[in-house]
Amino acid sequence: MSDLIGYLLTGLGIGAGFALVGSGLVAIHRVTRVVNFAQGGFAVLAALLTSTLLSAGLPHGVAESGGVALGALAGLVVGVIAIGRPGTSPGTSLIVTLGLGVLAYAIEVLIWGDQPRSFPGLTGVAEVGDARVPAHYLLILAVTAVVFALMAWFFARTDPGRALTACASNRYAAQVVGIDVRRMGLLAFTLGGALGGLAGVLTTPVQQVTFDSDVTLIVNGFAAAILGGLSRPMVTLAGGLLLGVTQTVVAGYGGGAYQLEVALVLMLTVMIVQAARTGPVPEAAR
Amino acid sequence: MNRWTIGAVAAVTLALPPLLPERHLATFVLLLLAATVTVGVSLLMGYAGQVSLGQASFYAIGAYAAALPAVHGVPTLLGLALAPVAAAVAAVLLGAPLLRLRGHHLAFATLAVQLILLSLLAQADWAGGAIGLQGVPRLTIVGVELRDVGYAYTAWLVLAAALLIARNVVDSRPGRALRAAATSETAAAASGVAVGRHRLAVFTLSAAMAGLAGGVYAFYLGYLSPGSFPVLLSIEFVVMAVVGGLGTIAGPVVGATVIVLLVQLLNTLGTLPGMPDYAPSVLSYAVYAVLLIVCVLYLPRGLAPALRLRRTADPNA
Repeated sequence: MSDLIGYLLTGLGIGAGFALVGSGLVAIHRVTRVVNFAQGGFAVLAALLTSTLLSAGLPHGVAESGGVALGALAGLVVGVIAIGRPGTSPGTSLIVTLGLGVLAYAIEVLIWGDQPRSFPGLTGVAEVGDARVPAHYLLILAVTAVVFALMAWFFARTDPGRALTACASNRYAAQVVGIDVRRMGLLAFTLGGALGGLAGVLTTPVQQVTFDSDVTLIVNGFAAAILGGLSRPMVTLAGGLLLGVTQTVVAGYGGGAYQLEVALVLMLTVMIVQAARTGPVPEAAR
Repeated sequence: MNRWTIGAVAAVTLALPPLLPERHLATFVLLLLAATVTVGVSLLMGYAGQVSLGQASFYAIGAYAAALPAVHGVPTLLGLALAPVAAAVAAVLLGAPLLRLRGHHLAFATLAVQLILLSLLAQADWAGGAIGLQGVPRLTIVGVELRDVGYAYTAWLVLAAALLIARNVVDSRPGRALRAAATSETAAAASGVAVGRHRLAVFTLSAAMAGLAGGVYAFYLGYLSPGSFPVLLSIEFVVMAVVGGLGTIAGPVVGATVIVLLVQLLNTLGTLPGMPDYAPSVLSYAVYAVLLIVCVLYLPRGLAPALRLRRTADPNA
């Protein structure tokens, strides 16, 4: 029983990381209709910068903020390149972000090399019931809960947030009432970059990061986001947590080698069921 | 492209292998194989309008399907014949559920399939596991064991066959149906095109091409491991297809040639004395990325049409 609680908590911590990556995807997709393939790259960049800042002697908190800021900046740059040119279709933008993801590899290997990196997070072990869990997992969960609450408040109660929601629900109508849809797209990319960066900064102390860990992150993030049709942040949170828990439980009870398959098969099933229910998706995708 | 250009390109590429030093011969063979896979990717993306980020999985299936029987003593030519069949069967089985998806959903689904395959291969002890499959025998055709130049000609034949098939498919009735479906699925379906069946057929065909190329690859290198087929390889095929020009016959060849030669050149530069050891990988990542982005944004029809190698058969016309 204490095993199970332990798996659940570590799973929730890992899943929170997926949920953050996924919600970044959602933030970008609902406004711009672009699936941002470089989303995992934001996490990797932020984590790598944080490790450098920490080893340069900066205190915790400052270094992590630096990482998240770099994620946001990278998000903005990706946004400018991917949707900055008028008339770029979402399909084209997907390929562009794919290219930018590979470009991030070049930059990461150039600056940080190709060896795995990590940095210490919250040390110590927390006792929950009769299970012992590294305290850092609880920190991830707490931060994620705060971030999602802030996002809900931001999208519902602030002007830029409501403008983003307006673009998401009807681009044309948003344009008519005077919202600059392209600028909102760039804002969405920046937000997505920050969320991706936060995921990287939070999970790196418990999972090492290399330049190509973005593939696992983006696939898991996408799997979490697809549950909510790439447009609902809260469903993404639920999806990410579910995914994290399933993976750790499977790994904990002996299927360690098949962790990734669980996420992937779940994602494929969800997509196929969704496609079967709604029929072929609109052709604007091309 | 007129007959004379084709003839000239064919003559030059046929005369080339015996003249090349061993190092460049390897580049030549891998270039031809990459071009073969890219022909399939280009068919899929350009004519059927579907992005596959998992094409390297069919390359891998073909390679393993050819190598595994050969390691256990089955004649190598039979193994090579098995490669495209295995890839095609896998494509039918996977395509039936997956091709309900479109756009980015399909892109992620194919990526997921490749990740699953790599992970399963790494755990499959009967296929060498993560260490890989060693000692794949060399290809023997009518009692003659192929040497390096022989592989160059085999790869040449494979590419020529793929190009011929692609050309005939594009000009055929199903080819027109596919182009119609890529432009507007609803309109095509309303005109009586069996969209799903055509889409599965082209997916299978592109997989068979990748599988056959993979089979040659397995016998040429003599060693396979899951690490030989990274996700980046699938992305490379997409880059080659896009750079060369989607929906053209010459595009895949042009794209593969440009990318492979450029990467090879940068590799040579990157391994010069005095360069840091990460230089080759950084340079090649940068090349893929920059070429892909620039082509997609500023040269959406790719290099081949820009070079005026072929003016007709525009899928968007």
